[in-house]
Amino acid sequence: MFQQLLAIIIIAFFLIRLFEQKKKKQISANEFLVWLIFWLSALIAIIFLKQIDILVAKLGFSGTGINVLVYLALLALIFLVFRMRLTIAKMEKNISELNQALTLKK
Amino acid sequence: MKIVTVIPAYNEAVKIEKVITKLKPYVTEIIVVDDASQDNTFEIAQAAGALTIRHIINRGQGAALRTGTQLALGRDADIIVHFDADDQFQAEDIPEMIAPICDGSADAVLGSRFLTKKSKLPKSKEYIIMPLARLVNRLFFGIKLSDPQSGFRALSRKSAEKLTIENDGMAHCTEIIHKLFKNNDRIVEVPITVVYHEFGQKLSGGFKIIKDIIIQKLIK
Ligand SMILES: Nc1nc2c(ncn2[C@@H]2O[C@H](COP(=O)(O)OP(=O)(O)OP(=O)(O)O)[C@@H](O)[C@H]2O)c(=O)[nH]1
Ligand SMILES: [Mg+2]
Repeated sequence: MFQQLLAIIIIAFFLIRLFEQKKKKQISANEFLVWLIFWLSALIAIIFLKQIDILVAKLGFSGTGINVLVYLALLALIFLVFRMRLTIAKMEKNISELNQALTLKK
Repeated sequence: MKIVTVIPAYNEAVKIEKVITKLKPYVTEIIVVDDASQDNTFEIAQAAGALTIRHIINRGQGAALRTGTQLALGRDADIIVHFDADDQFQAEDIPEMIAPICDGSADAVLGSRFLTKKSKLPKSKEYIIMPLARLVNRLFFGIKLSDPQSGFRALSRKSAEKLTIENDGMAHCTEIIHKLFKNNDRIVEVPITVVYHEFGQKLSGGFKIIKDIIIQKLIK
């Protein structure tokens, strides 16, 4: 019970921050939506942990709902890191192109 | 025929002047791309009579070659020769390197340290890095060459125009070979002599190249 409360508080903190960032226009509408869905689904998952436990058991997995959430979180992280790598690779390429254009302009 | 050498240079103040002086009798124009060196490579190269340009930030040898090759094409080069700034290659090898392009029998010529002329390589390079690099070439690209990592190459204008170097770092050697093959260029290997004044890249550098190649392969 206490753990759930703690998790909800943490999620609420991130949600508030998210809305702040949105208001200050620090993130794009798309990015905002992705994170909103992410944190809201986390919130729902935490609130309905018992039901998820039952569902997971019914599907034939050993372990509890929280385990499944950790797996999902890990997957999400791997995906995000992958995306970040792609973004960085693209950025590196752009930097090199800029650098070349500047060098040759003189 | 306008023969333009492109020399990527990073902190080569000690050697660059000698390299330029030795090259002069063999080529029409010398382009030095100073890759944001911390020493005065730029000033020395300029004073030595090379057309010298400078990257604002260090982007690596591949990036410097890309910039230099672009400039060479803009200056109507018929043949572009990539040459290192560290005085390891021999300017005297240039006539043999460009001969196959001049007589129209090849589009790209790669210098090889492993054909008849014997370059003395550090042991780690000869027995670990090179066999590994050859293996990567063979496995990933189905390419058989005696020297998988040579930085000494001559390209015809046509070949250079088709070539897009994407790898900023040292993995461009393998990348260029791969793309020359893909562009259906006629490739010839010519024996060259490479002198190892001191150990160039360390073993770790060799592994970084292989890592870069694999990552690039995966990102695509
Ligand atoms: N533009 C640019 N050139 C570089 C950089 N690092 C090295 N170089 C140049 O690349 C050339 C070759 O560098 P080396 O470190 O000797 O690499 P290598 O010849 O492949 O390795 P060895 O066979 O061990 O000598 C030299 O002309 C260097 O000046 C860099 O960060 N940027
Ligand atoms: Mg070297």
